[in-house]
Amino acid sequence: MSSEKKQPVWDLPVRLFHWLLAALIVFSWWSVHHHHTDWHIWSGCAILTLLIFRLLWGFVGSSTARFSSFVRGPRAIAGYWRGQWVGIGHNPLGALSILALLGALAVQVSLGLIAEDEDGIYLGPLAGLVGTDTSDKARDIHELWFNVILALIALHLLAIIYYRLRGKKLTLPMITGRAELPPDTQPMRPGKWWIALICLAVGIGITRWIIAGAPPFGS
Amino acid sequence: MRLRFVAASCACVSLAACGGWKSGQANSAQGNISQDSRPPATGRASAVTNAAATNGMATNAMVMLAVPLAKNQALHVMQVRHEGMETIGKNMKVLTRQVTGGSPDTGVVRASAAQIANLSRQASGWFPAGTGPNVGKTGAKPDIWQNPQDFSAKLHNFQLAAQAFNAAAASGDTNAIRAKFADLGGACKACHDKYRSEMHH
Repeated sequence: MSSEKKQPVWDLPVRLFHWLLAALIVFSWWSVHHHHTDWHIWSGCAILTLLIFRLLWGFVGSSTARFSSFVRGPRAIAGYWRGQWVGIGHNPLGALSILALLGALAVQVSLGLIAEDEDGIYLGPLAGLVGTDTSDKARDIHELWFNVILALIALHLLAIIYYRLRGKKLTLPMITGRAELPPDTQPMRPGKWWIALICLAVGIGITRWIIAGAPPFGS
Repeated sequence: MRLRFVAASCACVSLAACGGWKSGQANSAQGNISQDSRPPATGRASAVTNAAATNGMATNAMVMLAVPLAKNQALHVMQVRHEGMETIGKNMKVLTRQVTGGSPDTGVVRASAAQIANLSRQASGWFPAGTGPNVGKTGAKPDIWQNPQDFSAKLHNFQLAAQAFNAAAASGDTNAIRAKFADLGGACKACHDKYRSEMHH
């Protein structure tokens, strides 16, 4: 268990993404419950930037960040279930959880973008593109959909506890980026930092375009 | 905790039932709370004038009304209040889109501004004691009748903001419309943040 034997498994962008996302989800929840709807909207926009970044980094990032390295078919998942999987990064079953979380958050952000608050004081950045009824409906679903996100987060946390009870620590590697490798596996192949910056810039750019009210800057 | 939202949203569907919910308690409780919270309440009229005079607004006297309403009266007021608030909200939503968009449609803005200003005046009669959550389903928190002066001040601010916005709308000056609309939203929010529960609709 000496630290020299630990090898990189998660790169910095993935870790930053993970913890910023966790913090922003908590902040989004807190802010909207404490009547800071404006902060809530900004937080949602920040999450949008993170999601865009993660999507891009999933194609051009480090080996463990890439969807192609962890999104697998039912056969691989069944194999993992039988204990036949060896590797680093997301396992084939955990990959489903990642996709579900990212997808659910994308739905949540999209609903928020076109929602309006019940008093007609705050509009999501793209609410001007739809009617009042649609915005109101989007807000109602946005509120309900948070339960889906909560359920997925609960599942995520339960899985971490379950692995911990079986002797596999998942949290520390997500902080330090390093873990002991299983036999016959390669450590993570890192991505390029400047590509990460480009991904981030694209995320910020798209988000700013949306904040401006999208297509030709507002309706 | 989020289940409350599920419940709230379901409750949304049964809007019509608003104010028609049965309550386990007599409506006098609110009146008593309100009365107890003011020291020299020698009688109904003096209590009203006391508080109103402190705030310099006779218009909100109804907020202070300490004599309990009959239950059906209370439920009626609550229904009128609910519908009034809903209508204000609908107009606000129309306005937000107008005001934040490129160039507001003055006719639309004027109509909504006038309606809100009109309803804001009626709001003086929407919060008599005995129309709290122990009487029927409402988002009005009991705090309203525990802090009558603060609540009246906030209600009054809303009324002033609604008049000012109405005047701006009538003038047709887009900058004034934007500024006064922001003030109006702030006035709504100041009161809702403190005196409205999440369990409304």
